[in-house]
Amino acid sequence: MKRIRIIGIIAVLALVAAACGGDEETPGGTPTPNGATGSGALSDYGESTDADQALVDKALGSVEPSDEASWNIILASIARATQDLDQATIDKAMECWGSQQCDTGTGGETVMGYADGGGDTVNVWRAVSHMEAILQALTYDEIGTIVSTEADFNPDPAVHANDIRFLIQRGVDFIVGYPDVGVALADAVKEADAAGIPYVSFSAGWVGLPDQDGALTPGEDYLTVVGEDLCDLGNSFAKVLNDGVGDGEVAILGGTPGNALSLGWQRCTVDSLASGLDLVNPPANKNSTTGDTSWYPPAIPGVYQGLLTTNPDIKGWAYEYADGMNIGLQTYEDLGIPVENLTVALRTDEQDLFCDWADRNEPTYKIWYSAGGNFQSRVGVTAAMLSLAGAEIPAEVVVPHVMREVTADDCDPDRVAPSVSGTSLAPDSVLQLMFGG
Amino acid sequence: MTTTKAPSAALTSFVVGSRYMPVYIALLLLVAVALIWAPATLSGVALRAVAPYGAVLGIAALGQMLVIMTGGIDLSVPGTMSLAAVITVGVGDGSNELIWVAIATAVAAAAAVGLVNGILIGGLKLNGLIITLAVGLIVVGVVNRYGSTFPVQSPVPTGLSDWTSARVLGISPILWIGVGLTILLIVGLRYTSVGRRFQAVGANPVASHVVGVRVTVNQILAYVVAAVFYAIAGVALAGLLRTPGVAVGSTYLLGPIAAVVIGGASLTGGLASPLSTFAAALFLTGLNQMLRTMGLPTALQFVVFGVVIIGGMLVSGDRIVRAVEQLIRERKPDRSQTPTLAGSTGGRAWKEEGM
Repeated sequence: MKRIRIIGIIAVLALVAAACGGDEETPGGTPTPNGATGSGALSDYGESTDADQALVDKALGSVEPSDEASWNIILASIARATQDLDQATIDKAMECWGSQQCDTGTGGETVMGYADGGGDTVNVWRAVSHMEAILQALTYDEIGTIVSTEADFNPDPAVHANDIRFLIQRGVDFIVGYPDVGVALADAVKEADAAGIPYVSFSAGWVGLPDQDGALTPGEDYLTVVGEDLCDLGNSFAKVLNDGVGDGEVAILGGTPGNALSLGWQRCTVDSLASGLDLVNPPANKNSTTGDTSWYPPAIPGVYQGLLTTNPDIKGWAYEYADGMNIGLQTYEDLGIPVENLTVALRTDEQDLFCDWADRNEPTYKIWYSAGGNFQSRVGVTAAMLSLAGAEIPAEVVVPHVMREVTADDCDPDRVAPSVSGTSLAPDSVLQLMFGG
Repeated sequence: MTTTKAPSAALTSFVVGSRYMPVYIALLLLVAVALIWAPATLSGVALRAVAPYGAVLGIAALGQMLVIMTGGIDLSVPGTMSLAAVITVGVGDGSNELIWVAIATAVAAAAAVGLVNGILIGGLKLNGLIITLAVGLIVVGVVNRYGSTFPVQSPVPTGLSDWTSARVLGISPILWIGVGLTILLIVGLRYTSVGRRFQAVGANPVASHVVGVRVTVNQILAYVVAAVFYAIAGVALAGLLRTPGVAVGSTYLLGPIAAVVIGGASLTGGLASPLSTFAAALFLTGLNQMLRTMGLPTALQFVVFGVVIIGGMLVSGDRIVRAVEQLIRERKPDRSQTPTLAGSTGGRAWKEEGM
């Protein structure tokens, strides 16, 4: 009996020692995840890769995993995308979303910076991506403060750069953002790097593509770029047009002139179009984007008008912005061109276009999309936290993609806001507060 | 002693009118170029599609014209247009029953912005360029703040968007509104005492003050009425775009000014023509559309657009008047003492003329 008691005491002491030792072994002051227990390939850094497969499918579709390092970070990010949030977390998320700076209430010492070239009040996609980054940050006890900036698509690159500089001065520990002005942000990003602040861009927001003048190198000049392999995405768009149109005129559209995202996929789309397809707006050269809409609603109708006026028989479009395509359809009405015999390849998946598609019930009008990608901001936060914990982060966190054909199921008439991406991992309870009025 | 002969009425009209000729010549050139390189832009369907956007720019330009006639300039146009647009969304709240309340609120708010501009510039004699820039920035801040109180990319009431996409006699109602406002200004400036006094203030504020015209009131009035025009343009643009957003007016900073100047007005104040200004706005919109249709890269579009504006300025307004005067002098040397119509006050004409 005495022996059993001694064994019991030893066992308890061993458990206590193991529990205490766990913290000490965490490299570099590893974040202890709030809501996720370390398991899988990143368990040494307190991250779980046991993501809910349903959420993976929702965000990405039935994709083949990307390289192991990227895929593990993606899984770890989605593992934190809790859908059943308590009211206190929801309230805190809304507070942070509506403020330039907020205290998460955890007492953590890490300060997260979020730098958006767009903004919550100018674009739904930006608003949701910002919220997803906040929700992800709230799963880390170590993050005690979130500081957010937004440039509201200001055409002056200095505004975007100054947002980064403000975050540096504010003493953030890392910055997640989307660099709308591309290489024009290079100096500010390098200043962040020099200050020891990791910068992570998401949504394939390269600070200049590798062969662009002045481009920075992820992994060297900044921590990493999260996003799809842009050339693969461009090839996927081309395949949709090749298969769906066969012969005829097609057009491609992009965002801000020369931005890395559009340039990256457009180059490969142009190269992969079948010989039977006539691209009505080829780029001037390989360093130029074409069909520049700036993703800016007032600019979009004019671009469609310019193309459709001369080429009313366009049978296919490739564009990364579904809501922009929805705006473009107004031009079809204005010009009296029927929406039929049309194939559209898109990256994002805003619901209003899909519901409009369902309403039209036109069998020769087909849309294919990849994923809205809002959740990539979550991946950015987790990649940065892993880096702070000492993990090796690949220069590119490659997000796999698959093209999905729009069906009636893709229109959710009860969606809280029609322009919110269907693949967003922001819970409806949060979206309701953001967009429910 | 040399006798100064006053020019005949016909000659005066010809010389004054000549300042507005370049825009119509430019329009003809645009049509000619389009016929050769982008004939599709001249199809009825294409023109109908682009007309409402031209009208929006035209309405904003008419407001800017009133300010420029007083020798001022208004850089608060983008903010004021955005303000009107977001109020239409926010107050309209997606309800057709609230459309008129929303429009009235938008116009009233814009008029308040104009009143602030007018008091600071006309009343306190502060620099118009700086004041309107500053007020515009404040308004943009207010718009962003107000825009965050309702869901981003919220739509205007469907009644408004349906109306803007409708056709009246085959043409967008926004174009008809633009035409109506143009006629209103032509009549008001040319045939009413208020309009003539307003022009006199623009041409020569000192002389106007001496003869008892209330210069300050006229200057304030210019900014208020101009802001109302911006509001109308903002509401119309919101209807066209359906989900306008808080930055909807941001591309309307320089376009209205370019239209006024290409339309023959002098930036130093004085004469301007509503008809030529509206025509210049249509020209700029048409040019923009043609450049897109021709498939020019975005960078080249900006370059060509800028070059054309510079070219327009080189051959419009005071320069053309002086050129015509010079031509007349050379042809009629005995009338070399004819008083200059461009005037010695930086282009302010001595004769009131609205057209």
